[in-house]
Amino acid sequence: MKTFFGTLIALSLAITAGYAAKTVTLLNVSYDPTRELYQDINAAFTKEWKDKTGDEIIIKQSHGGSGKQARSVIDGLEADVVTLALAYDIDAIASKNVIPKDWQKRLPDNSTPYTSTIVFVVRKGNPKHIKDWDDLVKPGVKIVPANPKTSGGARWTYLAAYGAALKSNNGDAAKAKAYIAKFYQNAPVLDIGARGATTTFLQREIGDVLVGWENEALITLNELGKGQYEIVYPSISIVAEPPVSLVDKVADRKGTRKIAEAYLNFLFTPAGQEIAAKHFYRPRNAEVAKKFERTFKTIPTFTIDELFGGWQKAQQEHFAEGGVFDQIFKDNR
Amino acid sequence: MKLKTYLLLAALGLHSISQPVRADETSDAIGQLKSQVEELTQKIKALERNREIEKEAAEEKKKATPTLSAGADGFWFRSAETNFALRIRGYGQFDGRYYGGTARAARDTFTIRRLRLGLEGTVYQNYDYKVLTDFGSGITSTPANNAFLQDAYVNIHYWPEFQVQLGKFKEPVSLEVLQSDANLLFVERGFPTQLAPNRDVGIQFQGDLFKNRLSYAAGVFNGVPDGGSGDVETTDSEKDFAGRIFAKPFKTTDIAALQGLALGVGASYGRQDGALGTYVTPGRQRFFSYLSGAGALATPNVAAAGEHLRLAPQGYWYWKQFGLFGEYVLSRQQVKRVSGATANVARLDNEAWNVAVSYVLTGEDNAFNTPTPLHPVSFKEGGWGAWEVAARYGELSIDNGAFPLFASAGSARKISSWGLGLNWYLNKNLKFNFDYEQSLFDAGTVKPNTVTSQDEHVFLGRAQFAF
Repeated sequence: MKTFFGTLIALSLAITAGYAAKTVTLLNVSYDPTRELYQDINAAFTKEWKDKTGDEIIIKQSHGGSGKQARSVIDGLEADVVTLALAYDIDAIASKNVIPKDWQKRLPDNSTPYTSTIVFVVRKGNPKHIKDWDDLVKPGVKIVPANPKTSGGARWTYLAAYGAALKSNNGDAAKAKAYIAKFYQNAPVLDIGARGATTTFLQREIGDVLVGWENEALITLNELGKGQYEIVYPSISIVAEPPVSLVDKVADRKGTRKIAEAYLNFLFTPAGQEIAAKHFYRPRNAEVAKKFERTFKTIPTFTIDELFGGWQKAQQEHFAEGGVFDQIFKDNR
Repeated sequence: MKLKTYLLLAALGLHSISQPVRADETSDAIGQLKSQVEELTQKIKALERNREIEKEAAEEKKKATPTLSAGADGFWFRSAETNFALRIRGYGQFDGRYYGGTARAARDTFTIRRLRLGLEGTVYQNYDYKVLTDFGSGITSTPANNAFLQDAYVNIHYWPEFQVQLGKFKEPVSLEVLQSDANLLFVERGFPTQLAPNRDVGIQFQGDLFKNRLSYAAGVFNGVPDGGSGDVETTDSEKDFAGRIFAKPFKTTDIAALQGLALGVGASYGRQDGALGTYVTPGRQRFFSYLSGAGALATPNVAAAGEHLRLAPQGYWYWKQFGLFGEYVLSRQQVKRVSGATANVARLDNEAWNVAVSYVLTGEDNAFNTPTPLHPVSFKEGGWGAWEVAARYGELSIDNGAFPLFASAGSARKISSWGLGLNWYLNKNLKFNFDYEQSLFDAGTVKPNTVTSQDEHVFLGRAQFAF
């Protein structure tokens, strides 16, 4: 029997030594405005991986509203990794036992390789003189945020506006609620996603202020509508943290865990961070952040944990059925 | 833009016709009208955009309604939030057996080895269920084993670390038994599975710990003979305790070559009376059975009568295209021979082991489950599916104490088999197996045309359709 096992092991080694390079396909399910970011990340990572291992990787992308994307993964979309707008959406996937509940502790910075914040984009010359959050609720000002019920970015926008109102009213929730009601009264259109809101503001020429992701605002200024718009940083805003995670069950079933983990780790490397910064996402890496300090204006910020007690609580209080958003939306009708 | 111009002109025209005015008043009025037109334009645009968004939302809502889908993984009915799901699954195995040699007991045959249809799914998110039935050749119903019903259980899994499973399902002892019939490397399972329990009715606690690096299962069951399944206890009131721990220690490490290494041990213990198992060759010929009679002096009978212990160390290693699978089972059973007024008791240790090695030629990753072809067979796109070669060796030894009192005539003391296999996975649903197996018997009979009087050479083929 010993001889037999010895022969088997020798046979195993001989066979595996003949292993040849192969092609692996990954699917990254992401949210609305990250298309261009991940096109560049994918190109850089596949090159690095091929140089290192000789293996080819094809990384497919899927984009849409963050909540909708999470639902698709729960429904069976075979994502190896998810890179979504908010932790609540990845928590929803984890609740189906396809990702461990402590997923956010697996990568640095709460599994958030880059951050963003919520800012304003106004038309050239800032005809409505928009400077801060209070200006958005003035009569005659039309704002364009996305719908918090369907968009992750829009939830960050809602929380930024609500949080700013809380801060300026010494934590008075009633005043903050009144503010947020007026805020959405001034929104003639609520788009399904952040990219849709950008389209509404830029292409359909609706509204005076686009309120949303800083990265979308900077793209608007630098690429989509060069010279036609201006960015306005409010006096305070929120730190928006779009997280990433491996989808363990899918990766294990497909045998892609190692590559998928390496892909996510790449986001935290200086190379990955630099690509994120080029696409106007605030990098975590201090050196890269220093290099791009002129791109990102420093403003006072607050976190969701500080003012809202984390995503689960915020979701329940503000966005769940019958929450604050439903109440003010009903009143606004 | 056109709309804006028309509105402005119309407003100006009406204004100028209606009254003659001074220049500054006209300028103010024009300014007011401009802003009114701008406001109107914005409203119209917003209305149009909202209509588009409503249309998009309606399409999204349509997607949120319960879904019916069909694909390589079966047919699904699911509520929109997926807390309720029903999946229809099934597989059929059409086998052919050709026995070499001139003097042989078995007949070459085609057979429907398994034809299984099942339902599985989820209710209220945390309750999974499964029902699996079999309509294959030779499946008959008996009071002790209704083989039509393979699985029927509910799994309650509020926490992955601690789950409760109740009903009829596979006892957690043998690794190869726990592998689905649709994912087998060879047409027939290895010898260790013949000494292990198969499906039984009971309650089991199970869970996955340390990021799925360690899994455990422990349960209490009616108890079944070696290789057997059962629906109801008819011979005694004793229960079997079965358990298994299985570790994948390197699963989450950076050591790629060892991530697919898994080791474990299963065991069962109980007191059993009644029927005993019989053991068969890879060609499904019976090479060992216990005496079976009325218990009279001329027709002695042997039955289980006391302690039954099983021990099953097991493991596998999959790395890239390579796979290695091994298992050993010891089955220690107390038996009793009744021959008229005489009774003999013995404790018999039967042992089996099996090692299989496989390699996927077409680049897919090897795994405990069936590989998914990277390029399914397609005449248009030139895919050849996945091809896999396999080899195995195994033995099953009967305790010397079984001879001559307890074993039936013609039974062999030991079988040693080696086999070669070629598997072709056309796509995720269709697979062909081609196996050659050769078996040698120790201390078989010399009586011609009996199973153990000569080596068995058998070619086995299988066409399997699974969804």
